Amino acid sequence: MKNLIRTLDSLDFLKLDRRTFMKAVGVLGATTFLGTYKTEIASALEFAETKIIWLHGAECTGCSESILNGGNPDIVQAISKLNVNIAYHETLLAQQGLFVDGEPVNTSELNSELLVDELIEEGNYILVVEGAIANGPDGSGRYCVIGNRTFKELFAKAATRANAILAVGTCATYGGIACADSAVSQVTDYRGVAFTKEDRSKGMLTELGIHKPVINIPGCPAHPDWILLTVGAVILGKIKIPEDLETILDQYGRPKVFFPTDHTVHENCPRRGYYDRGEFDEQIGGEKCLWKLGCKAPYSHADCAIRKWNGSVSMCTQAGSPCIACVEPGFPDSSRPFYVEAEDKGVLLGANIDTLSKAAVGAATVVAGVHAVRRMKGE
Amino acid sequence: MVNVTVDPLTRIEGHLRLSTEVNAEGVITDAQSSCLMFRGFERILQNQDPRDAALLVQRICGVCPTSHSLTAANALDQLFGVADTIPKDALVARNINQALNFIASHATHIYILWGPDLANPAYRDVLTPLGETGNAVWKEMVGRFAPISYKIDGQSVPVGSSYLAAIPEKKRLQEAIAVIGGKMPHQVTSYPGGYTYKPNVADIGKLSSYYLQVMDFVSNYTLKVPFETWIENTYNASSPQKAVSFVVEHLKGLVEKSVASNDFSREAGWGDAEFYAAFGSELVGETLLGLPASLKHDKIGGYSDPSKIAFLSYGGFYKPENGDGYDPNSPAGDRFLTSGVVTGSLEYQNFDASKITESVAHAFYDDTADLHPSKGETNPFTDPEAIRFDQGSESRYTWNKAPRYDGTPCEVGPLARMLAAKEPLVTGLALAFNEKGYSAANVYTRMMARIQETAIIANELLKWVTVDYDPNGKIAVDTDLSMAKNSEGMGLWEAPRGALGHWVSTDSNSKVITYQPVVPSTWNLSPRDGAGVPGPLEQALIGAKINAVDNALDINYTNPVNILHIGRSYDPCVSCAVHTIDLTGKNAPRTLRIV
Repeated sequence: MKNLIRTLDSLDFLKLDRRTFMKAVGVLGATTFLGTYKTEIASALEFAETKIIWLHGAECTGCSESILNGGNPDIVQAISKLNVNIAYHETLLAQQGLFVDGEPVNTSELNSELLVDELIEEGNYILVVEGAIANGPDGSGRYCVIGNRTFKELFAKAATRANAILAVGTCATYGGIACADSAVSQVTDYRGVAFTKEDRSKGMLTELGIHKPVINIPGCPAHPDWILLTVGAVILGKIKIPEDLETILDQYGRPKVFFPTDHTVHENCPRRGYYDRGEFDEQIGGEKCLWKLGCKAPYSHADCAIRKWNGSVSMCTQAGSPCIACVEPGFPDSSRPFYVEAEDKGVLLGANIDTLSKAAVGAATVVAGVHAVRRMKGE
Repeated sequence: MVNVTVDPLTRIEGHLRLSTEVNAEGVITDAQSSCLMFRGFERILQNQDPRDAALLVQRICGVCPTSHSLTAANALDQLFGVADTIPKDALVARNINQALNFIASHATHIYILWGPDLANPAYRDVLTPLGETGNAVWKEMVGRFAPISYKIDGQSVPVGSSYLAAIPEKKRLQEAIAVIGGKMPHQVTSYPGGYTYKPNVADIGKLSSYYLQVMDFVSNYTLKVPFETWIENTYNASSPQKAVSFVVEHLKGLVEKSVASNDFSREAGWGDAEFYAAFGSELVGETLLGLPASLKHDKIGGYSDPSKIAFLSYGGFYKPENGDGYDPNSPAGDRFLTSGVVTGSLEYQNFDASKITESVAHAFYDDTADLHPSKGETNPFTDPEAIRFDQGSESRYTWNKAPRYDGTPCEVGPLARMLAAKEPLVTGLALAFNEKGYSAANVYTRMMARIQETAIIANELLKWVTVDYDPNGKIAVDTDLSMAKNSEGMGLWEAPRGALGHWVSTDSNSKVITYQPVVPSTWNLSPRDGAGVPGPLEQALIGAKINAVDNALDINYTNPVNILHIGRSYDPCVSCAVHTIDLTGKNAPRTLRIV
């Protein structure tokens, strides 16, 4: 898998024909939902245009920035090869909201508010949501207003007519940083699309009484491969919505292929050798295992350590910073304090630390790893 | 009077509304800048481990996360009492990370966020009737800067060549940051005491390679004159006048070659920077170069009253030649881009952090604060009906507060930094505009300052990577949480968008009592203060003509392209701008006063 990613990384997708491109994307995206498309692609080289409406709620634009960093495929390739039309995206589109004396003016070529309404009216689009959705104050949603309407209202309208909904980034999936515990978090009442933290009943769709399946792609930010490969799989029909979702998503709505239930960042961490030998850094700037600096990689279900980031050049632990489990539904509260080792917290992500340690080490792990955990735990 | 409102102003970070009153001549007579979202960000740090700040606070903004996390690291350096001992190589590593983020952020703004407005059909309508030159100029503008999914009159417009080429460069720069920062956005290496990762020789090689590739883009698209020649004759010019003369002479040469053929292509020597430098300005393009037309961006986005505006820089990038440690107060001359305050009439003054205040008179916060920070309290409105954005200048109309320096609204960002640093080209342009009766600050100088700053930082980056950084040096000093007991810290830094400050205080358990960022867009997008003085962007809108090229055609309220130019020229970041502060703690930062 690792070698395969490296090999594919060195390919220039722009020079490939569509068939080879799709094959490469499929292999890279791995087994579960891109694995079986090969024969179909051979016979279906043309894709109908797929429209994407990308909405921004309470967010930092980090996930949009991230998608521009995509490499496998990159965003331009995805648009041209998969015939994706990013029809609405506040950071990229030419339009803006235009009002004269309170009434929308001009046409959808210049006015984004007219554009988004027309697109929703036309239907047949994939809705991507970046950022959490304000429910406060008092369920009004007025802590986030765009173009004379609350984001909650715009989201409800767009969600109702969407063919598929993707929540991108930990804010849209679980509320993320916007839902972090604070003196005002009850008042602001930010929600994820289908969940708020681990709670599906608090998701904005449930609040609105809209029943639509959602694919969650968490991460702070979400990795561009996770987003683009999932979008690609949906467009290719490799993910049938809703019938396939139960098997390909985990209990928090994440594609298991990227967020494996039985695999954590820890298992392929570049510093894993130090862990197995029980060698730990206790100050920053070293090269050993970061467990004692608070690393949450053993509790973080993502393929970061295999896939790595930004053209596979690095990742958090490689750069000497503990994993903060930003793909988990409880982030950031479940990972705080970031620099205190998880054992000292006693309980993490709602589970007992001892169970988690065993799960983290896993059945296939070398004996030395088990020893290292025992050593840390003082057994 | 007609109300013309842009909501949302897209191609920025976050959600911003610009509401203007426009008279029958198409001139803006009143304006409000409204930030439309409230997150309550820094409240999440209260009672928490202060070390989490660098990773948490950068999540305010995915475009400039490095700036927030480094500002947090600065505040924490002081909080932990280690600012004067941070190893030189950690400071250089921070510089490299920040410089790459500056270049990526500026390039994104220039090409992805701001550039597409040059392909607005309003320019076609003004330029094409001017004959072959106008046609040629329009062809370049739409051919270089058109965004994705763009249509004019129902016809799909191909993506602009510069726009398209900039996307992989942005990706490359993010990759370069990831090499020494783990990943982007939200790099992970800022920490009190130094830097979590020690870049090795291979990393230095990679960074150099990334640098060369980015410079290929610059020479192919942005700047056709050799980069070294440009730096030598502008940034290193012996006077502001000489820097301006060099640019004008260089452009004159291009005009002479192109005027007969009407060929303004890159192949004819017109890089994007040269193209905009000549055609963006009436003074430069028409008066000095004799061009038949310009976009007249020097006539919009200026300030009419120099006494109501200043330009502020906190100072950014450590000076490696100062060795280990740095001064958290950022005194004049202590940073590569120095701190300073330049008045509306372009006089330099030393910066003093104690002169910063914030007003909530026009923002949606309870007005219970008095003059003493130790007793001040700020809370968001919780009545949905009270959150209204359409009630005019006398009302409360934004989530953004109104920061003031010594009572004066301040523009922050590349223009302010270049003026504070007395950069020859930008200073020369500002002086020239002043002398000819234009506002020294305008959309044109704001964009030229951003372009020039990108060049200067790229130039310095190479030195930091290849000369100043020692892969065998020390990368951090040891810290322990107990060092942060009953302490205070101030982080003064520069983000791509301007002056960024974080203030933190802790209790006897080293837990955070208060954490307060005052960020660039809070300054630029500020509403009116208690005295009714509008913020910088509001001042820049008032008095501007709304339509392209000085309202060259009939007034069109439905395509107010100049409002878009002015708003976007500040590179607004709304998720950064809006935050609430809580100064209830007894150790609240003394430097801040709520009025």
